Amino acid sequence: MATVNLAPTTIKEIPENDFFLTPSCILGAVNPGTEVLISRIYDLLGLTWRAAGDRAESQCTCCTGFSSHGDLISIESTLLVTARLWSIAAELGLENITTACVTSFAIHTECLEMYEHEPGLHERVDRWLQQACGRRLQIPKHVVHASDIVYRYRNDLAHKLRYRLLDHETGRRLRVVDHVGCHYAKVFPEKAIGGAESCDVLAGLIRAWGGETVDYPERRHCCGMGFRQCAIRPNRGYTMACVLKKLDSMEPWQPDAILTNCPGCNLFLDKEQWAIQQMTGKTFDIPTLSYTELAGLLLGWDPYDVVGIQAHTVPVEPLLDKMGIAYDKSKEWLGKRVAGGT
Amino acid sequence: MNSESATGKKILPADLVSKKAEELDQIPDGELVAAYESFRDHEDAESGTYPNISRLYGTSLEREKDRRETRAQAETCNAEMQEWYEKARNEPCTWWLKNHLVAKHALKSCIACGVCTAQCPAAQYYPEYNPRTILDAALTQNEERLVELLKSDTLWYCGQCGSCKPKCSRENNLMGLISSLRFLAQLKGYHLCSVRGRQQYAMRHLCGGNLWNRACSLYFRNITAEGHPDFGPRYAKYQSEAEAQMVRLGANPDRPGHFGGRKLSPQTLAEFRSCLACGGTLVLWNQLEESAAEDATKNGISIDEYHIRVHREG
Repeated sequence: MATVNLAPTTIKEIPENDFFLTPSCILGAVNPGTEVLISRIYDLLGLTWRAAGDRAESQCTCCTGFSSHGDLISIESTLLVTARLWSIAAELGLENITTACVTSFAIHTECLEMYEHEPGLHERVDRWLQQACGRRLQIPKHVVHASDIVYRYRNDLAHKLRYRLLDHETGRRLRVVDHVGCHYAKVFPEKAIGGAESCDVLAGLIRAWGGETVDYPERRHCCGMGFRQCAIRPNRGYTMACVLKKLDSMEPWQPDAILTNCPGCNLFLDKEQWAIQQMTGKTFDIPTLSYTELAGLLLGWDPYDVVGIQAHTVPVEPLLDKMGIAYDKSKEWLGKRVAGGT
Repeated sequence: MNSESATGKKILPADLVSKKAEELDQIPDGELVAAYESFRDHEDAESGTYPNISRLYGTSLEREKDRRETRAQAETCNAEMQEWYEKARNEPCTWWLKNHLVAKHALKSCIACGVCTAQCPAAQYYPEYNPRTILDAALTQNEERLVELLKSDTLWYCGQCGSCKPKCSRENNLMGLISSLRFLAQLKGYHLCSVRGRQQYAMRHLCGGNLWNRACSLYFRNITAEGHPDFGPRYAKYQSEAEAQMVRLGANPDRPGHFGGRKLSPQTLAEFRSCLACGGTLVLWNQLEESAAEDATKNGISIDEYHIRVHREG
């Protein structure tokens, strides 16, 4: 079967340095290593970054994204919450917002666009923000996702890698399928590297780090997280159906791993493989990793103490074995199959 | 907020944690909130953590406190958008489409090509779902048809992925329109007519509770193994050790810090809550409470039982 290397068609201006990092609710809740790894990678690259407040007294809050798409938040409250974060960034002298979450990326971008399209909104939100918390609205220069920064520095990172996306015994390039978060590429496709159709933000990393990408048929299909769909138990069949559709579509290419940049996709493409195994008897066992987890593993950082592969349902250890990445086998997490056992 | 004087009997916060909403009725608002906060803010000096947060999360006490606090904050908040949403709920749906900040920019025109439906993951899963008809209902400006839509399950199927957005040749924002109409359905209480709409009361205390108390939409204790049997035994093992694993990886479960699970200062929480109030969100939350109380009474069940039901039905 054919594989292709995709070139980006949308050129995006990605700032070089001085980032205000906003955390992600989902990553923080279920893939804590992935989120902390963003800061570790920024540090490794020697980039200057700050979060709101200091460690002892954080001023970081949610952007409201999950609740906004869960239909619980007025758009004006979302505008105020993002404006508060921008105001803190401006106090720190930072004009480049980098979000850990793709829905945050879309939320911040949507707010930026609204100020351009709605006459008088800037003045109104500035007035409300003063009323709400004594702050002033200050528009940032850039809103980018943390995966944009990693993409920008992908070749610099490639020089620092201890491992490559290669089978260490045969030299075969590992086949990694990407799944770009919908709220990175579809809500504002003109703000995504390569746009919605040929998004390169993850494929570019795979190529730069030695692997092979596949443009599988359902590459652009949503993971099915759906906010109220995944949060409310009776709605979860929708999520499972979307994940199954994607897994069935990528399976013929026998991918070694799935790469994501969205907290929800990283969660559901991984976790629902167990439910699908129970429902259909079909075991896919395709490890799902975020771009920071993959970078961390290739950099040789500890899989359990730094990267956090133990948070995954599909075991990552077989992928580590393929790449020759050393790990403490006594820490191995419940065997090497999604259903448990070896 | 209720200004009744103190009962004179000292309230022990730990005693309230296991109480149901109706058992908390007699406790004045101020005392209830003070008891909750003192319990929440008890710091384990040795570990620098706040161990009672885990005992308060998801309890009837937390939900009852939130009801009273959001009602009180809305009463004292003299915000333009709060007034706007109070007014909007009594206006026709067609008025909303012309005036709501998202809805009025969401629609341009439609050539009925159907690409939004062809691309839609929800339309592939729910055979009766066709998002193009939502766009059509909005464009026709037919009040009767809009009310019917707002009372239906159809409105709640969209997964908000945005797959339709880059494909629409007319640059309509269908996901934004749907979210905006869902907000209106709840403001008008029409969501009670639909099983999927009623689920919003679960969202109000899941995401709404997290936002109000922790300034996050999701909190690491939300995603329990019991609540997610689809995640399997490996996740159950991870979740049983989640707090220790988070600390190992540099996150901040129920303790100060920037990353997952962080406990925020009262000042940050107050600013965040004020942003919610000034933006008019509390009008929606208080309406959801009123609607839920009305529906629970109609069904002869308590508000706690109703909260469990909306998590399960559908």
